Amino acid sequence: MILSLEQKKLRRTGYLPIFLAGGALAALMPLVNTAVRPETFTGLSGNSFPILMDANWGMMAQLTILLIVCGCCLIYHTEYADKGDLKMNTLPIRQFSLYCGKLGVTLLAVILALLIQSAALAFASFRWFPNRCVSLKELVQGMGYELVLLFPTLMLMLFAASLCQNMWISLGIGIILTFAGSMIHGEHSLMTLLPFAAPYQMLHTIPPEKAAFCMTSCAAQALVFGAMETIYLRVRRNFI
Amino acid sequence: MNELKIELIKIRRSHIFWILLIPAVMMWIPSALNADVNFRMNDVGISPEHNFFIQGFMGMAWFMIPAALIVCTVLLIQNERTNRGFIKMLSLPVSAARLCLAKFLVMALLMTVQMLFTILFYYAGALLASRLEDYDFVLGLPYVLHGAAMIYLAVIPMSAIFWMLAVLIRTPIFSAGICLASLVPSVLMLNTKLWAFYPMDYPFYMLMTEYGKQAAEVFSSEIKWMPMLPIGGAAAAGCLFIACVRFGKKDIW
Repeated sequence: MILSLEQKKLRRTGYLPIFLAGGALAALMPLVNTAVRPETFTGLSGNSFPILMDANWGMMAQLTILLIVCGCCLIYHTEYADKGDLKMNTLPIRQFSLYCGKLGVTLLAVILALLIQSAALAFASFRWFPNRCVSLKELVQGMGYELVLLFPTLMLMLFAASLCQNMWISLGIGIILTFAGSMIHGEHSLMTLLPFAAPYQMLHTIPPEKAAFCMTSCAAQALVFGAMETIYLRVRRNFI
Repeated sequence: MNELKIELIKIRRSHIFWILLIPAVMMWIPSALNADVNFRMNDVGISPEHNFFIQGFMGMAWFMIPAALIVCTVLLIQNERTNRGFIKMLSLPVSAARLCLAKFLVMALLMTVQMLFTILFYYAGALLASRLEDYDFVLGLPYVLHGAAMIYLAVIPMSAIFWMLAVLIRTPIFSAGICLASLVPSVLMLNTKLWAFYPMDYPFYMLMTEYGKQAAEVFSSEIKWMPMLPIGGAAAAGCLFIACVRFGKKDIW
């Protein structure tokens, strides 16, 4: 119920269009990049999916992270803009379910954006690498892994957006974190497991046991951010 | 001048200074701690102290300075949109265009503040790196100021575009989203022949020419003013004009 309620609130805010447009823009990256200089990529040996991901995922991941930042800012802005959050507090629902509803809606939107990007990657693979086209399993695994890595980023950003009534502060926090993440991702250390830095990782570049470790760490981070939101709501209750 | 003063009063307590300060600290302190990587760049012929300066400014010029500008546009516009500030402001006997320009000047001022923070923390980082590595990383102030000033000038056309989008598009997240999305492919655009038509890559271009002066094979060392200057100037003037004409039109109906 909370999901459909949240989705109704987002009508006419441009939420869905922004995820569709952002997903489409990120999807353009592999298409345009390969279309302009196909011989650079088709000359490389190996499977098409790793080639396409190596060439484009950095920018696609950054666009998806920025999309998450914008989406989270917008979804909480609708609450804070006309004191909607106070009205929500009078309803007989738990405050945490508001966060969960927003998380659900944003997660669905991110999945939609990733689906568009997957379709573009599949098309690029089919069009320029006909002999070594990506298999469905490889595509689902590769992009599913990115979705798992994006999840803690999404939860942290939504938590940051729930903290700040003024949208420029949450947007500023999101942008600073995106900047920090983009600086970290080149280094091979435990820092790359952090939200905003983790999504730059790719499944084909790391051994399976490390991938399992990364996913476990994402699950742990998700629990931590969920707990942080609960604690924040409990503390805030004493002040409003 | 009065309008500028009033605009500055409005952004008191907006916490924008923190948003401008944190990236500068975040950029320079880790790069000072990892300063030893600058000694491994000898193959392109760049000196460690120049590499330290350019690599640090790269992150700022490519993403953080433009992104901070976008946050500033959201701040300046949202400040008015909450509690129907636009109606109150536009009912004053001051032309809307002047108010719009005053807000743009505030944006330029905030950018100056961020530049100053960046320079300040560059020196802090360079001193720290010199201490840690026992090597002089500090470059002369005229050189640093020249580099920062070129980036600052290169940001102006882009900031006019961002400001116009913020004025034209009523949904703040749309304008911010479009602007942020425009930053991501800027490095890609810089490598195409059409780079001069994409003002979002100008600051990075300025820094890359500086890189080219230090390491000739990396990038061209000459700034090609010709297509860039008229295009940038026209974009800045055109966008500011549109912003002034349309300022507040969407917010009062």
